[in-house]
Amino acid sequence: MKMLGEFVKGVWRENPTFRLALGLCPTLAVSTSVINGIGMGVAATFVLVGSNIFVSIIRSKIPNKVRIPCFIVVIATFVTIADLFMKAYTPALSRSLGMFVPLIVVNCMVLGRAEAFSSKYPPLRSIFDALGMGLGFTWALILISAIREVLGNGTIMGVLINKNFQPPLFMILAPGALLTIGLLIGLINYITSRR
Amino acid sequence: MNQLIKFGIVLALICFAATLVLAFTYEITKPKIEKGLEQEEKNALSEIMPEADSFDAKSTDGIDYFEALSSGKTIGYCIKVTGTGYNGYIRMIAGIDEKGTIKGIRVLEQYETPGLGARINEKKPGEKEPAFLKQFNGKNARALEIKKDVDAITGATISSKAVTDAVRDTTSQFLDKIKTGKTR
Repeated sequence: MKMLGEFVKGVWRENPTFRLALGLCPTLAVSTSVINGIGMGVAATFVLVGSNIFVSIIRSKIPNKVRIPCFIVVIATFVTIADLFMKAYTPALSRSLGMFVPLIVVNCMVLGRAEAFSSKYPPLRSIFDALGMGLGFTWALILISAIREVLGNGTIMGVLINKNFQPPLFMILAPGALLTIGLLIGLINYITSRR
Repeated sequence: MNQLIKFGIVLALICFAATLVLAFTYEITKPKIEKGLEQEEKNALSEIMPEADSFDAKSTDGIDYFEALSSGKTIGYCIKVTGTGYNGYIRMIAGIDEKGTIKGIRVLEQYETPGLGARINEKKPGEKEPAFLKQFNGKNARALEIKKDVDAITGATISSKAVTDAVRDTTSQFLDKIKTGKTR
């Protein structure tokens, strides 16, 4: 039950994108198509799970004063693994995500989980925490990128919806991302405050 | 002092483990990544010059190119072109025949803005090659000019110009080189 709580927490109550507003930079940058959103979400989830497990296992061995460099090395390792595997097995996706896969290293969501959760709790709970956070990040990315892809490019998953629809370009550019995220956060705040 | 040494040892151990893991991952993914890039290049080449039966990789004056051969005779060249786009470089292969007429252009790698610059390499459903690149076919590579020979993509003048300029400059340089090489 406690495990399930850790999992659900990341998906909704402490959703990294909508509730904690962490990792917004990659969210703004890659949410131009649903495929990108899914790719980024899966890559970030892999890094989260990997680094959470590892940090949790070695948490008692790490001196408090050098914990941040230790966490960063662990995170960077998993990010590089994810990057190399994406380059090898999904070259097209890796190309369209470009720089943002290696940049997961500096995603404050990942370091945040290492610092706030897995450095304090045992591995199993850390895995559920990472999975929840990763899933929360992924569905947020998919939702934002679906809205932007439909409105800004007139396609969904790369398939043209309507030939006669002239998409407003700003939705695919940075302002569209900021507007979408802002409105969604507003909507979610409204829903939660009414409960 | 004692503490410092301990910090150093812990960090060094973690870095050592990380290096081992990464070296291993790099080794197993490397052939796969290289094969993917090679395959991509091969596909582009046979799309540009379907009539060629083999391609000979060569290099002159810092320009890498492929000589397209059809039953032993040279029918054209596929030149590797790199242009500077809006967000980074654009890597392309430009195919020309011996007179310098463009046979086809394929983009291998680009980082242009999705929905704007990235349209240089976007195909509409049912199209064989991106509409923007199709405009180049049959044009004289030496005299290529944006807005005259090719229409720029709305809102993506920089990306469109980058492709046009890079193809013109590199192919002209290449053609000059080949010509002087032959007369000598």
